[in-house]
Amino acid sequence: MSTLDHRPAGTGRLTSFGRGLLRFARTQPFGSIALGVIIIFVLAALFAPLIAPYDPVAQHRDAIQLPPSGEFWLGTDDLGRDVFSRVLYGARTSLLVALATLATGGVLGSVIGIFSGYFGGRWIDSVLQRVMDTLMAIPGIVLLLFVAALLGPSVRNTIIALSLLVIPSFNRVARGQMLQIREELYVTAARANGCGVLRILRTHGLPNLLAPMLVVMSLMLAIVMIAESALSFLGVGTPPPTPSWGLMLSDGSRYMEIAPWMVVFPGGMLAVAVLAFNLLGDALRDFFDPKQIR
Amino acid sequence: MTEYVIRRLLYGLLVVFLVTVFVFLALRLIPGDVVRLQLADAPGVTEEQVDRLAAELGLNQPLFTQLGTFLADAVRGDFGQSFQDGEQVTTLIGERLPITLQLGAMAVLFGVLAGIPLGVLSAVRRNSWLDQSLRLVSVAGISIPNFWLGLLMVTYLALLFTWSPPLVYQGPTEDLSSNLVHLALPALALGTSTMASIARMLRSSLLEVLHSNFIRTVRAKGASELRVIGKHAMRNSVVPVFSILGLQVGHILGGTVILESIFGIPGMGMLIFESVQMRDYPVVLGCVVVYGAVFVLINLIVDVCYGVIDPRIRYART
Amino acid sequence: MSAISNSATPEPLLEVRDLVKHFPITKGLLNRTVGKVHAVDGVTFRIGRGETLGLVGESGSGKSTVARLVLRLLDPTSGQIHFAGTELTRQRPAELKRLRRKLQIIFQDPFSACDPRMTIAQVVTEPLEAHRISTGKAARRTAAELLERVGLAASDLDKYPHQFSGGQAQRIGIARALTTEPELLVCDEAVSALDVSVQAQVLNLLRELQGELGLAYLFIAHDLNVVRYISDRICVMYLGQFVEHGPADELLAEPQHPYTRSLAAAIASADPHRPPRWDRIMARGEAPSPSAPPSGCRFHPRCPAAFEPCTNKFPVESTMGERTVSCHLHDAAEVLSHD
Repeated sequence: MSTLDHRPAGTGRLTSFGRGLLRFARTQPFGSIALGVIIIFVLAALFAPLIAPYDPVAQHRDAIQLPPSGEFWLGTDDLGRDVFSRVLYGARTSLLVALATLATGGVLGSVIGIFSGYFGGRWIDSVLQRVMDTLMAIPGIVLLLFVAALLGPSVRNTIIALSLLVIPSFNRVARGQMLQIREELYVTAARANGCGVLRILRTHGLPNLLAPMLVVMSLMLAIVMIAESALSFLGVGTPPPTPSWGLMLSDGSRYMEIAPWMVVFPGGMLAVAVLAFNLLGDALRDFFDPKQIR
Repeated sequence: MTEYVIRRLLYGLLVVFLVTVFVFLALRLIPGDVVRLQLADAPGVTEEQVDRLAAELGLNQPLFTQLGTFLADAVRGDFGQSFQDGEQVTTLIGERLPITLQLGAMAVLFGVLAGIPLGVLSAVRRNSWLDQSLRLVSVAGISIPNFWLGLLMVTYLALLFTWSPPLVYQGPTEDLSSNLVHLALPALALGTSTMASIARMLRSSLLEVLHSNFIRTVRAKGASELRVIGKHAMRNSVVPVFSILGLQVGHILGGTVILESIFGIPGMGMLIFESVQMRDYPVVLGCVVVYGAVFVLINLIVDVCYGVIDPRIRYART
Repeated sequence: MSAISNSATPEPLLEVRDLVKHFPITKGLLNRTVGKVHAVDGVTFRIGRGETLGLVGESGSGKSTVARLVLRLLDPTSGQIHFAGTELTRQRPAELKRLRRKLQIIFQDPFSACDPRMTIAQVVTEPLEAHRISTGKAARRTAAELLERVGLAASDLDKYPHQFSGGQAQRIGIARALTTEPELLVCDEAVSALDVSVQAQVLNLLRELQGELGLAYLFIAHDLNVVRYISDRICVMYLGQFVEHGPADELLAEPQHPYTRSLAAAIASADPHRPPRWDRIMARGEAPSPSAPPSGCRFHPRCPAAFEPCTNKFPVESTMGERTVSCHLHDAAEVLSHD
């Protein structure tokens, strides 16, 4: 960030990051638990090949729809595949898709929002916002279905569709924040000091956007994970045999009465992950904005 | 006020227009034309058949001519015919849309009727165990995917009450009780997140109002607690609830798609889902536009109600 | 011609001519313009090198808009701004950026003028980096020197703005403004938010710096006391226009315009031992909205001495020596002295 820092690179920031984390743990108990759950979830997804007792696509012919047991912790599905292993690999798919969506749609939406906000009220802002209103007017699942219908089901296309879904949300937050920052006296001062648009956006825009963007990111991760599962559930998202929670739910929905574990566990994992991201998002909002007491 | 409504209406029309242009262009700009995509899986299709269908759809004309024709037809409510059975898209949507709207309305009704008491209870008993557990329920309610909830309901409520939803959907005019029973569970699954959002929002806005100076004044004048909350605080807390409803419109509309397919309800959601699977593009296009229009219209209504309730907003917005 | 100094320098540092800024008021569907706010309505003045021009007026009189126009933080509706021989209103961004090195500003609220997430080092070196004057250690050294010059310590470089008091924060603002070695410093209500004792310290600092660096100030404030202390000449602004202008001592000793008199009376009454030599005149009521300025003399609805021509005829400027006043009481036919 600064070339003025005469201390060894990074150390100052690291300690202040550490201090922030400690304060977060102290003031946001729910958020901290959620963060813990998310970390476990990420680690499980990351190390799924090491943790999973079975190959997620291996079919055990002699173990069709077995209930949870010592051998198959969360039971098996209609093809004799281990539900626990599939849930782990499903977390992988889910997280991968979600992160890829943030990396594309989140970044694009934020960049559009930042520029739009800085030029708030001018024609470029108006044009961009009309495009956003258009995207927002199509309900999420409908937009996803539309893109799936155009491009066909695949992981890549799911990411494209989900990106379109999240762009307006990121745009809205980034733009709103930027409109506010733009009116700050320190931005006027920066202009008087000879800073150009890009320098102002870099030195004053981005750092002051970070906190609200973290909050949206957390909340959008929750939404993206649900949407990805919903798409796969409808059979137009992640194609089989890739393990995905949505696919598992749709497979299991046919056997709800005889093998409820096929639905309960992947759905439960999805609910817990989404809950954790929602709680973390709320906690981050309270943490960054202590004025707002909920 | 009239000017505000007209302004919002015109802007809504612009958005619907843009949605129409967007879906049309998206469909035409993807690689491979619509006809080939549609016929991709059908065996033994000859080039002649492809050409004939393309000519029928006007695909051999320049893009902007096509767009113009499409828009001109769309304004008259004509989205062409289904590839599947040659039915008018408008007729298909006309049959399905009311069902979806009924489901959505039931979900919102449940969300509001359940969410308001929960929120009030939570705020009045602030920080009690009741409040804490209600808050947890609210966050959980927002987080549970509605289709998972629907799946669990259709199984476990059925097991618990030895009851299952009717196999065949019947419209409200055919058999009202069967219709309501059929839609009750999906509406419940769909309305849960609305309920949770309203409860959360109402709790925080009530707490804010209850700590404001004007409530302190009302209390100081000796008003009973019931009156303080029922009359003075609630009136000021309804506005945020409305804003939640506005935010939930898209969520509810989107949710109907997936819940209709779980519960076998032949609404718009089922229609667009089936059409996507069949690559029945005229129907998909018509559905997306109509969804957009419904979304814009409901938002418009919410916004106007919002303006009526809180006159301060009327001019600040848009 | 109003507010033109007889300063010894033939070419002034800053010369502003007929500066106008209207903000449109939009309404309705197509954002049609239904009116405009006459924030600044034809203002002309000069500042010589090393000179201080005070600009007083109530809030809403357009003083801060003048400041922002001079720095081209706002684009004027019309008029010219000549700075050091260059016409600012027609400059392209790159050229403007170069000129801004010589033209700096201090704001009323020193805290909101600093990004709260930046250290003082980052705040003060921002202009150095933006103008590519220096970076890294060299910039930091400059910043440290300047901090010491304005009465702070080099060790303050790694602190954050909120760790300082208002007066200290304003010193940081001054240090930042000085980094590019400006010739003109616009002080927009620079001491108005400070306690009176701190005000004096900051004013003294500004005077010292002026002596050392030969700075010129455009000093804007609503408090005539403060302006009197630091200014060579004073312009009195009312609803976007100058009503009176002249050397600070003369203007305060013998205010000509009824509005100036009401301002002067307000400060004089604070000193019970020195009763004013003129009748206590107080402006009545509040200033009207600049979106609908009154006809004729803009001050007439509040003026205790208003008579017939004031309501419909725009007053002409009368010039006597170094002073000008725009008031029907002083039209050519009128005698200058009063009472």
